[in-house]
Amino acid sequence: MRIELAGVTKIFTDEKKVLDNISFIEDFKALAIIGPSGGGKSTLLRIIGGLISPTTGDVFLDGNKIIFDERYLIQHRRQIGFVFQAKGLFNHLNAQQNVMLPLVNVHGYTKADAQKIANRLLARFGLSADKHKFPNELSGGQQQRVAIVRAVAVKPKLLLLDEPTSALDPELTGEVLAMLNELRYDGLNIILVTHEMGFAKKACDKLIFIVNGRLAEYGDSERLFIRPHTAELASFLNRVLEWGI
Amino acid sequence: MALYRVFIKGTNDKITLLQKFLNIVIAVALFLLFFFFSAKRLSINFDFSFLWTFRYRLIQGFATTVELSLVSLILSLLLGFLSAMANNSRILAISYFSKVYVQFFRGTPMIMQIYLFFYIVGTAWGVDNRFLAGVLILSLFEGAYIAEIIRGGIDSIEPTQLEAAKAVGLEAGQTLRLVVLPQIIKRTLPALAGQFASIIKDSSLLSLISVIELTQTIREISASNFAIFESYIFLGLLYLSLTFPISMYTRYLEGKFSYEN
Repeated sequence: MRIELAGVTKIFTDEKKVLDNISFIEDFKALAIIGPSGGGKSTLLRIIGGLISPTTGDVFLDGNKIIFDERYLIQHRRQIGFVFQAKGLFNHLNAQQNVMLPLVNVHGYTKADAQKIANRLLARFGLSADKHKFPNELSGGQQQRVAIVRAVAVKPKLLLLDEPTSALDPELTGEVLAMLNELRYDGLNIILVTHEMGFAKKACDKLIFIVNGRLAEYGDSERLFIRPHTAELASFLNRVLEWGI
Repeated sequence: MALYRVFIKGTNDKITLLQKFLNIVIAVALFLLFFFFSAKRLSINFDFSFLWTFRYRLIQGFATTVELSLVSLILSLLLGFLSAMANNSRILAISYFSKVYVQFFRGTPMIMQIYLFFYIVGTAWGVDNRFLAGVLILSLFEGAYIAEIIRGGIDSIEPTQLEAAKAVGLEAGQTLRLVVLPQIIKRTLPALAGQFASIIKDSSLLSLISVIELTQTIREISASNFAIFESYIFLGLLYLSLTFPISMYTRYLEGKFSYEN
């Protein structure tokens, strides 16, 4: 998939410039957005997902411009899966119902078909035993895996994930990343904000590095890890990789 | 197992059904004994036989209380919901009107509201049906409490729930119907059931404007035969027969929806 950003800037009402003139073009299968906390990574992901609008600038996916108008955005969101850092499942629905809701109420599947799809996917990712559990009865890792199942059940053309493992301990992080890797091999396009440098390096073909709302560096992830061009990325990698990956 | 274990709960102990039953009997017995000895000190001899004579009036009064409470429940739910919605209105006058309403009815005694609305507002606008006036006043009073319960329910919806609804592609109306309302209902139902018990008890104050409900019936009966103690003990039991099942149901709902946290 090709993504193009042209001069994307986001200023929140408190005059803080969260994103400052981000422009790049990349062809990717899995794109990782990395950088220090508070740098605007999540905001960028929400703009790509059509959850918030940029103050100025354009975003193109495979050459199609995203029109930041509610009538268009609702269609845009329906073609995209979005997974939040945590708490993204509907509290009042169990795992199976969470997966079924968008299928039935947004994509027009019958209840029976939606249930079949939900059960098949939950089974595939080892969640069959948990399908009748409510979000607060699931572990953090299970919650995230159900959230990913819900996002991919509607066959999105792109899956966006906002730090999907940052609230999890290492073991649970492993199970979520393994699932993402499997989906990637299925041919699903992924953009994720992550602090998991091992995953960014090995499972993502492209990387963009954002510092203080600016795009500091981007390109092949292999290259960025081995030969960072900017001092900022070199020092960031030094800090996060200090204890190895 | 030592005998004292039946009466003392350890930190991690589960209470058995037998334990529960035994200790409830003890607690209720203690409670009743206190009243029994209080009556004994005054050498009162209770005689409840007169109640049978007044059975039709009592049934009539009981029915009126139930009717009054049910109609007020529906009306106050409606008022509470509207007020909670109005509270979040972007039109400031409407928002403040809702706040003033809630403050006034929660902040003043119901007895004052009853007199104010029945004798001034009611008379001015020609509402002379006491039952209707009673229902309206009670609903206004309880609606203010219900507005706060519903507002709390709305506030408790986490922002991520709305963002997730947006992300999966739900429209605004669908988000309200499929995500927001079910969560508000689940979270407020226990408190609303509890409020219904309050409505039943508070309806007794309408005896002040001579709505012939249960309390007024008892007042009239005890005024004719001076069996004040027996009358009011029986009155308490009748109200308990209504509020106790509701209280049990509230407990059940609280347990059922505790997973929501």
